[in-house]
Amino acid sequence: MTYDAKIDRLPIFALFDLKGPQEALSKWAKDTPAFPKGPNKLTHKASATLCHIGPRRWLLRDDLENEATWSASLNPEEAPADISIVRVSDTQTFFRITGPDASEVMSIGCTLDLHPAVFADDAVSYTEFFGCKALVLRCEHGFDCAVEQSFGNMIKDFLNRATA
Amino acid sequence: MMNIPCPFCGPRNEAEFAFGGPVKPHRPDPNAVSEVEWTQYITTVPNPLGPVEERWWHVKGCGTWLTIWRDTRTHDIVEGPGDAG
Ligand SMILES: [Zn+2]
Repeated sequence: MTYDAKIDRLPIFALFDLKGPQEALSKWAKDTPAFPKGPNKLTHKASATLCHIGPRRWLLRDDLENEATWSASLNPEEAPADISIVRVSDTQTFFRITGPDASEVMSIGCTLDLHPAVFADDAVSYTEFFGCKALVLRCEHGFDCAVEQSFGNMIKDFLNRATA
Repeated sequence: MMNIPCPFCGPRNEAEFAFGGPVKPHRPDPNAVSEVEWTQYITTVPNPLGPVEERWWHVKGCGTWLTIWRDTRTHDIVEGPGDAG
């Protein structure tokens, strides 16, 4: 059977890995979206998304054209010793799975319950996707899914087979 | 398949975790115990028929290390002796 879903490999995003106590980070990183209220939640501000992906750990995503602006604003080199900010834009490959059967395709590779009652618009999580560690969040009409960039071609192949 | 409770993420599929082995007993002072006791500590891995305390790493999730009690007969995650109340 085939699925009514569209698979896109997205261009690189600007990504920043933020670690440390939330209070210290929010004091330093003033221009980010508001810090999400709970674990595995995200917030938006303009084109930027801030994801709470682990204890004392957040991931900031924005369009690549804003990377330099974020580098200047977050100023990792000058950050206080109790926080860590690292630009990781080129480490992740994002796929966008959209369409009526997007969640069916996701369920082939991902064990996480992605029903909207459990995984809402403000949800984000690292989980497993076709055996790889992957970041999963919702987008319009589907899901965005990021894997470590060296697994990109393999995941593309899995997705092609799944939707063939 | 086990559903392992992560303190950050909540219950997650065991496939997201790496097994970190059983929690070893407290390391004794090698000068204060007999050679037999010391050798026992060095070489014997806890492997009971029943509840065992284990470390698991949410490696494909949030990265948290956690400790659970698992019943080796059923794979049920159970309350440990220290968990009551
Ligand atoms: Zn977790």
